[in-house]
Amino acid sequence: MPTVPGFAVEINHVSYTYPAWGVDGATTPALEDVNFTIDEETKLGILGPNGGGKSTLIKLILGIIKPTAGSVRVFGYSPIEARERGLIGYLPQRIEADRDWPINVEQVVGLGRACRIKPWKKLGADDHAAIAKAIELVGLEDLASRPIGALSGGQLQRVMIARAIAGNPKLLVLDEPTVGVDIAGQQRFGKLIETLHRELDLTVILVSHDMRAIAAVADRVACLSRTLHFHDTPDGLTPAVLAQVFAHDVAGVFGDIHIDAHLAETCDDPSHAHQHQHDCGCSENEGDA
Amino acid sequence: MNEIAPAIIAALVIALMGGALSIFVVLKRLAFIGQGISHAAFGGVGIALLLGVHGATTAGAMGQLAIVVAFSIFAALGIAALSRTNQGRTDTAIGVVLSASMALGFVLFTFVESKHDHDEHGHAAQGHEDQHHLIEEILFGNILDTTWPKASIAIAVAIAILVVVWFIRRQLIFWAFDEPVVDAYGLHSKRITYIFLILLAIAVVMAMQIAGVVLAAAMLVLPGAGALNLSAKLRAVFVYSILIAVGGAAIGMLVGFEAGLPIGPTIVLIQSVAYLLTLIAKAVSARLRS
Repeated sequence: MPTVPGFAVEINHVSYTYPAWGVDGATTPALEDVNFTIDEETKLGILGPNGGGKSTLIKLILGIIKPTAGSVRVFGYSPIEARERGLIGYLPQRIEADRDWPINVEQVVGLGRACRIKPWKKLGADDHAAIAKAIELVGLEDLASRPIGALSGGQLQRVMIARAIAGNPKLLVLDEPTVGVDIAGQQRFGKLIETLHRELDLTVILVSHDMRAIAAVADRVACLSRTLHFHDTPDGLTPAVLAQVFAHDVAGVFGDIHIDAHLAETCDDPSHAHQHQHDCGCSENEGDA
Repeated sequence: MNEIAPAIIAALVIALMGGALSIFVVLKRLAFIGQGISHAAFGGVGIALLLGVHGATTAGAMGQLAIVVAFSIFAALGIAALSRTNQGRTDTAIGVVLSASMALGFVLFTFVESKHDHDEHGHAAQGHEDQHHLIEEILFGNILDTTWPKASIAIAVAIAILVVVWFIRRQLIFWAFDEPVVDAYGLHSKRITYIFLILLAIAVVMAMQIAGVVLAAAMLVLPGAGALNLSAKLRAVFVYSILIAVGGAAIGMLVGFEAGLPIGPTIVLIQSVAYLLTLIAKAVSARLRS
């Protein structure tokens, strides 16, 4: 049963350490004492360096892994309950679906909804209406019956967004959705998410290492590098905070934002600064284990 | 005709099951796992022989089938577990399980045979020949000695598999299409993987009744592979796959009985020809369109 109404996600003092026999045998926690809440119908951007625990946080919210310490609630439910109730829509970073499949846009969008329908029942009028609306919201109504093999990468991503919203979720989780997309593309993506947010009263979580991708979508920002450093509106995100999150990596990530690397040391005690440097050095694959 | 009726009906129902499953096998790229399972079944036959369970009587045949099914499921789950600890290298896992099971099968056959020789000195040569005949039957199938009890079990199991697949069709399609995301949609990808591997293991053993160890996996690949050349619509692909599977089995049996050829390999040959024809049809229609 829902505990505290009004919060889409509650992360209560969550830590997570990957098992020692994992990818590289490392036992440093991927997340340490992360503690924050996400209000319903906000668009939260979670900014952090590669290896900072973003993917781990997503897996915890989706209930794919359980926290080593602390607890996660999604609309008051455990994450597994929440996703079984269809409250969560999810757009993965890499689209791994096979393009050679004999399946069209409408069928792909329907998958997420159909898999919850009893086997002896057919898709009803409300299902077809929800699928059609999802396709319309992402602007693919002209391509509804086209095989997915005939779509561009951007169109396929919109199909996957439509699939995520076709089940009427209340929370939409986007994992690095605009990697390798130019600024104009990020702006268009931001507009699309804003439309979905307005039309469907969605709470949106967008995770990225790219400040511009976050700025295009989010109205609130949290910074994550093993632990949560900041949780506020984007205006309050000062270079000092960014430097703390990204340690010495800042200049590399934000080529056009000038930040003095010394700030990193003034914001943080030396041992911590060293930790961040270590975290930032990890490969991106760390979080995908 | 009455004598071969159970064989014909069993072959058609098993082909139908193969036609339905083969779509998932091909789309999920599990064709080689099917090979691994069917060869592992040979190890299962060896174990059944060692335990003194063999197909001479109906009860013996049932016992043998149960042992082979259990061993094949064990091998399928073993392949899944091995490839997970092996950074997802499924081909290595299959290679290991396939070779180990074949080796185990041959070692046990030889061991049981040598024990047999010791017991009955005078009939050593005769026993040897039986053994070779038995191995050939297991490898390439022999549906001609299918009796009604054996056929009924194969038919019932094949229909049960079809019913389960129909029940979980939507989850199976989602899983086969995009496994990494299904958990986020409230499904359990690991559970679906295990269920499908178990279904596949049982299906392979049923197909073995017709086509034997070497060719069983072909019946679970060829129809789907051919159907995918003919259409880009999911529903049509299912229909074509079942047509190729059942049609191939029917024509294979007709040709096999007329010409006195081994039935299982003939069915697989006919399905292979059908697959080639779909490739040609695909190439021709692509050229006509351009």
